[in-house]
Amino acid sequence: MKRKIAVAAALAATLLAAACGSNEDSPTTSASGKVDGAGKTLKVWLMVDAQTAWKDVVDNASKRFTEATGAQVNVEYQQWANHLTKLDATLAGTDVPDVIELGNSEFPKYVFSGGFAAINPADYENSGTWLAGLKGACDFEGKTYCVPYYAGARLLIYRTDLFKEAGLAAPKTYDDFLAAAEKIQTAKKSDPKFGAVYMPGQYWYAAMSWVKSTGGDIAKQDGDKWVGQLSQPASIEGLQRWVDMVKKYSKADPTKNENEQAGIFAQGTSAMFYGNAWEQGSAEEVKKDPNDENSPLVPTKVKGKLATAAMPEIPSFLGGSNLGVAEKSQNKELAAQWIKAFTDSQSMDGLIKANALPNSTALLDKAAAANPALAPAAQAAKDSWFTPNAEKWADVEKGAVLQTMLTDILTGKKSVADGAKWADDQINATLNES
Amino acid sequence: MSVVESPATRPAAPAPIRPAASKKRKSDKTPWLLAIPALVLLAGLLGYPLVRMVVLSFQNMRLRELLSGATPPWVGFDNYTKVLTDSVFWGVTGRTVAFTIVSVLISVVLGLSIALLMRRVTRGVRLFMVVAMMFVWALPQLVAAQIFRWMTDSDFGVVNYLIDKIPGVDYANHSWFVNPWQGWSVITTLVVWAGIPFLAITLNAGLTQVPKELLEAATMDGATPWQSLRNIILPILKPLITIVTTLSVIWNFGLFTQAWVLRDGHPEPSFQTLATYSYTQAFGQSRYSLGSAIAVITVILMLGVMVFYIRQMFKIGEVE
Amino acid sequence: MVAVAPVMKKRRAKSADDGVLTVGRSKAGTIAANTAGILFSIFMLFPVYWVLNTAFKPANEVLSLEPTLLPKNPTFDNFLSAFKAPLFLENMLNGVIITLLAVAGALVVGFLAALSIARFKFYGRKSIILVILVVQLIPFISLLIPLFLMLQQAKLTNSLIGVSITYLVLILPYTVWTLRGFISGIPRELDEAALIDGCTRAQVFWRIILPLTGPGLVATSVYGFIQAWNEFIIINTLNSPDKQNLMAWLLQNQTTRGTAWGPLMAGAIITSIPVVIFFLIIQRNIATGLTAGAVKG
Repeated sequence: MKRKIAVAAALAATLLAAACGSNEDSPTTSASGKVDGAGKTLKVWLMVDAQTAWKDVVDNASKRFTEATGAQVNVEYQQWANHLTKLDATLAGTDVPDVIELGNSEFPKYVFSGGFAAINPADYENSGTWLAGLKGACDFEGKTYCVPYYAGARLLIYRTDLFKEAGLAAPKTYDDFLAAAEKIQTAKKSDPKFGAVYMPGQYWYAAMSWVKSTGGDIAKQDGDKWVGQLSQPASIEGLQRWVDMVKKYSKADPTKNENEQAGIFAQGTSAMFYGNAWEQGSAEEVKKDPNDENSPLVPTKVKGKLATAAMPEIPSFLGGSNLGVAEKSQNKELAAQWIKAFTDSQSMDGLIKANALPNSTALLDKAAAANPALAPAAQAAKDSWFTPNAEKWADVEKGAVLQTMLTDILTGKKSVADGAKWADDQINATLNES
Repeated sequence: MSVVESPATRPAAPAPIRPAASKKRKSDKTPWLLAIPALVLLAGLLGYPLVRMVVLSFQNMRLRELLSGATPPWVGFDNYTKVLTDSVFWGVTGRTVAFTIVSVLISVVLGLSIALLMRRVTRGVRLFMVVAMMFVWALPQLVAAQIFRWMTDSDFGVVNYLIDKIPGVDYANHSWFVNPWQGWSVITTLVVWAGIPFLAITLNAGLTQVPKELLEAATMDGATPWQSLRNIILPILKPLITIVTTLSVIWNFGLFTQAWVLRDGHPEPSFQTLATYSYTQAFGQSRYSLGSAIAVITVILMLGVMVFYIRQMFKIGEVE
Repeated sequence: MVAVAPVMKKRRAKSADDGVLTVGRSKAGTIAANTAGILFSIFMLFPVYWVLNTAFKPANEVLSLEPTLLPKNPTFDNFLSAFKAPLFLENMLNGVIITLLAVAGALVVGFLAALSIARFKFYGRKSIILVILVVQLIPFISLLIPLFLMLQQAKLTNSLIGVSITYLVLILPYTVWTLRGFISGIPRELDEAALIDGCTRAQVFWRIILPLTGPGLVATSVYGFIQAWNEFIIINTLNSPDKQNLMAWLLQNQTTRGTAWGPLMAGAIITSIPVVIFFLIIQRNIATGLTAGAVKG
């Protein structure tokens, strides 16, 4: 009976949409009620992190989903390096994945371009308390087009042994942080490879966090136009603050990004770095065989010598991922059901165990209590920021605008002001392009 | 008949005898039937996409149109004016041209020197050289690029480690891609290193065709090695050199993989070439039409070199 | 008579190859030349040596700030790791299938077309030659989007067939051009004599042209093999990971958590092995093949 009503409602919505002559307003996909998926296979695209860190959560959710609907699940894991190119090519066709994970800063572009179907937030657990930084990427013209999945906040990861030698405790203020860097750097002066802080030059999530710390911003919406804010005084101040720190205390390659930082930090030539909570583990232990998830872990030079703390006075970028139902999917309701299972409290508990932050503010404290290693990250997530929610923001990231600016400033090719001005021009041109 | 034969030394070919049998073929459909499968495949998988690419360059296709399948709006020459008035595009073009000239010059001169060297060394050494070059030649482009990325890594790369060993030089953590000149010399080294085997082995094959008697006679007459090279060897090799040079120009002008891999899939503006620029515009920024316009312009820019190559090849194909 | 070209050609090249340039020949000169030749070879081989060195090192030696010139504890772990890596074997098999289909297809189709332009005088021949030459020079990457859209409509994306056909076309122009060179190396008088002797044209093809083009077919197919085996940009866009080849696997075997250089280099070696073997087997033919196609008429 219930199902009949749902069908009728969906039909009515379709008719209504047709009557209004709008093709943009596709009906909202419901995840409530029962769907019979017997004989069907749901295609799910997740990013590789799920495979390496919480595959059991995926399998468990799929199992529960199959029990409830009878449909099978086929999960494909994607690499971050080229997944958007592949997604574009695939979405252009007809045989598309039903559920797609994207980084939260990548979502707006696809939502604005009609790639995802609208969903009904009320169908999902904890939707009232979804993290704003994740949910923001899903909102478009009053509707919601994706479901927050997990988040990560960035922290200070430091060497307890070196801090102890220097008689230091975890920094409580930014000045403490600088003082600690200074003291350790001085103590290690004889080692030319040693830099107190490992901060690769193209780590723009970090640089922009410093910009936020002085009240600066990347871009702001002014009417229907976006305006780059990096050359505003507050942003320049933050940028300068970051540049001064990096130039003084980091020996990292100004043309590298943060992807390899844990492995490089594990060499022991640095006392602090800024990363996700799980990167502490990556720095302390490496899999003997990186292609085998069951491979034994091998300790590195810094094993047992690391601890995390919130980076004082620096708001964290809230990274993370969302899940959406492809607009072209033939199994939208099934897809929504799978997402529902994968983002419910049971799955979130699994993520917390795997050192990922859950998708809801209500669960943050629970996460901190259940997994002490996650506590600083949960704390950092409360004071976090997110990239501009502009349709073309992903193009700014893909165009390596901020990365190029940072490298140019650090290598002295441009002054902070010139670099910021250049980046603003690029950002304005990209975000406002018709 | 020799492997490498220059038109200059070729004896005037006798006019082909055309017996009755071959005359009958004239109105025959056989040649077309034979060529048709190839032509259909080329038309379908190269010709048609090529036409679509040109069409696309007069439209404005973005992600929305790609996803919905709707016909993108027509914009006339907008993409072309946008590209041609963009100083970034001209910077990329200038860089690509400069890289092509420098890398081809180095490759061909080095390739020829190695080929000459191969004629001068003893047999065992020559074999060693050939084997070394075969290994390099056989390495897939992607693999070669990844090896160079690994060797020039600022933290774990062997190049920094070895240079740092030189007393008084501090190359620890040296980043090769801060300074575009250094970065481009890494890319050029990679391209030249990977290109030399083809050039040296081909030119060496050409050198084997230089009549020994001619060189002996020249030496007898008191010609210096340099004179022999200029007056005997180079003229004979000229057609071969022309062809390998034009091929190198075409390959290096389209540089993609090396810059892409060495910059980890996101080349900074100073490491963009026309190929990576077009690709990033189309696939990175979803400006498919703009990317197509850049590709069309690239093909037009290459036409000059291509005409040269095609004329040379056409002469050869014409003869029979 | 101009000889039965390919066979004689090889012999002559070989005998000439034994000679040393007489120009400026002296003992000191030879020693200097040998030294230069050896130094050059070492320079060329260094990167190859470095991959091998990396691939046999355990993980902690790979990521070391003080790289050693030889592995301290040599290990096969990286190779095992590559083999165990997700999709490695599937992608290897895909690569073999795609490459064989593409090369075989290109040889058949290309041979017919080469026969047509090498052996017949007909109206339109020039245009065909022009087309063959021009299409070799079009950057294939730029055609990716329209190509994808087209194959998508034909339901050929995410299939081995779609990529095979694409690669076939990719290597076809070169194949036609090179085979044309080999076929025209066979004197016309031979087939004409055979025709006069009462052979049919099909017999001329099977008994004379095909056997005499043998070495040419080998050289051409090797080049096609290498092109198809090494391609990764097209397959990476057209197919999902389980339908890709080893090159695409290499490109993708980098995670957000840093590149696993040891297994990557081991994978690179495994990927290169078939190509290297092919190269070494036909190394005498390859220069002949390439230049014969490119230069001689």
